[in-house]
Amino acid sequence: MKRIYFIFTLPLLFAIVFSACTEEEYTVPEAKTEFQNDCIKRSLGPNIVGLNIEFVYAMALGEQAGKITSAQVEASIAGATGTYLENNSYYTNNSGVDIPVLIGNPSATTGTKTEVVFTKDTCAAALRYYYMIPEEARGKTVSFKFSAKASTGESVSYEMGPYTIAKMDMKLDLVLSDNNKLYLSVADMAVYNAAEAASNAAKIDLVYLYRAITGITFAHALASPATDPEYLPGVTLPSGVTNNTRFVKVYGLRDQQLARLQYGIFIDDVDFEKIDFTNVPNYGINMKLDSGAWIETADGKYRAYIFVNKVDNTKKEMTISIKRYTMK
Amino acid sequence: MNRKRIIKRKFNKHMKKYIISIFALIIAAFAWVRCTDYPIDEDGLLITTRAQCYVSNFELLGTDYQTVRTKAAVIDTTAQTIDVEVFYGTDLKNLWPQFTLVTDAKLDPKITGFVDFSNLTTPKQWTVVAGNRKIKKTYTVNVTVQAKP
Repeated sequence: MKRIYFIFTLPLLFAIVFSACTEEEYTVPEAKTEFQNDCIKRSLGPNIVGLNIEFVYAMALGEQAGKITSAQVEASIAGATGTYLENNSYYTNNSGVDIPVLIGNPSATTGTKTEVVFTKDTCAAALRYYYMIPEEARGKTVSFKFSAKASTGESVSYEMGPYTIAKMDMKLDLVLSDNNKLYLSVADMAVYNAAEAASNAAKIDLVYLYRAITGITFAHALASPATDPEYLPGVTLPSGVTNNTRFVKVYGLRDQQLARLQYGIFIDDVDFEKIDFTNVPNYGINMKLDSGAWIETADGKYRAYIFVNKVDNTKKEMTISIKRYTMK
Repeated sequence: MNRKRIIKRKFNKHMKKYIISIFALIIAAFAWVRCTDYPIDEDGLLITTRAQCYVSNFELLGTDYQTVRTKAAVIDTTAQTIDVEVFYGTDLKNLWPQFTLVTDAKLDPKITGFVDFSNLTTPKQWTVVAGNRKIKKTYTVNVTVQAKP
């Protein structure tokens, strides 16, 4: 019996060994010579009005076949001022630095179309396209058609999108100071001093203060004007500043667009819809670096996320960045 | 040739016996495992023989999931109380209590989210149920807010 098994198994083992060891001949693939193109989106996160959407559009044809004559991008909604297609093609050197090579005239934008006419005799280029998101695109979707022409008469195109443009707004690096600009308006996305707050009383949503009180940890605080005066020690509110803003303190929610740090966290429109503001306080004391707060204005018109970028105990200042979503 | 056949037949007979025995053993093992009765409670948790019933650690978190305690909570396992002082300005309506219990014990009622501790005159209570599910001890959580000097 053992012998029978041996007789049957041995050829099988040989077959496996031989099949595993057979070398496959490698041949260098031949490059295509026809005109071709590719595109990637470089920017990450929600697309917010006033920010760029960045793409890289690459095009190439056989070295002997001809040269590229022009490249064009057509957006479904015309970009705002600052939309352009680079007239430099980039390559990355050994040190990892992107080196520009001029390939044509600066791009010209007419309506929804942005075009670069090539002046360099080149058969390959990778151009960056920056689409400045316009106000008209808020809450809509936008698509892009990248295309290029070659001296051979060939043309190629590549479609990207549709991309949803967020409804929210963003404001970076507002500096609140305990002795001057201590009033924050979410409606205006601005900070005001007492005099300015008095003339914009209905729009003041939060008051900033810094207090070093022995025995308790108060430090940097954001309080709604209608909060218990206990949480606004030494603050005399301008007349008419009475809003009751709902406030949910959070920590470590480092949105990449607000914090500009390495964390891959993005707050998007949908997040504002999900926050539950029932039974929440109207103040937050001991606000630290990297902390933040979800807030809802007294009239319920806006919801916002405030991120604390920087705190300075000596200057009694706090630098914040805001994403704001209109609910009504 | 005949001898070979006899040997082969004997071998096959033995093999059959072994295979049947192995199968019988496996089936018996499965049956035994399936039929052993491990007692479980209404939450599907194992009821053990442990009679210990106490809280070993207590934490209280704010909406930012950071501690709101000014110092370690004082747990009195005899009086069955937990005294915890929270920072001045803590939002007492949204606090997440976390209990560390002795092995196999469980908490009743279960904590599924933020709890309202704002009524300081009526402290919240939780019952620790021992591993044997026979011993129950109710702990009272007394929250005090750090006073402003």
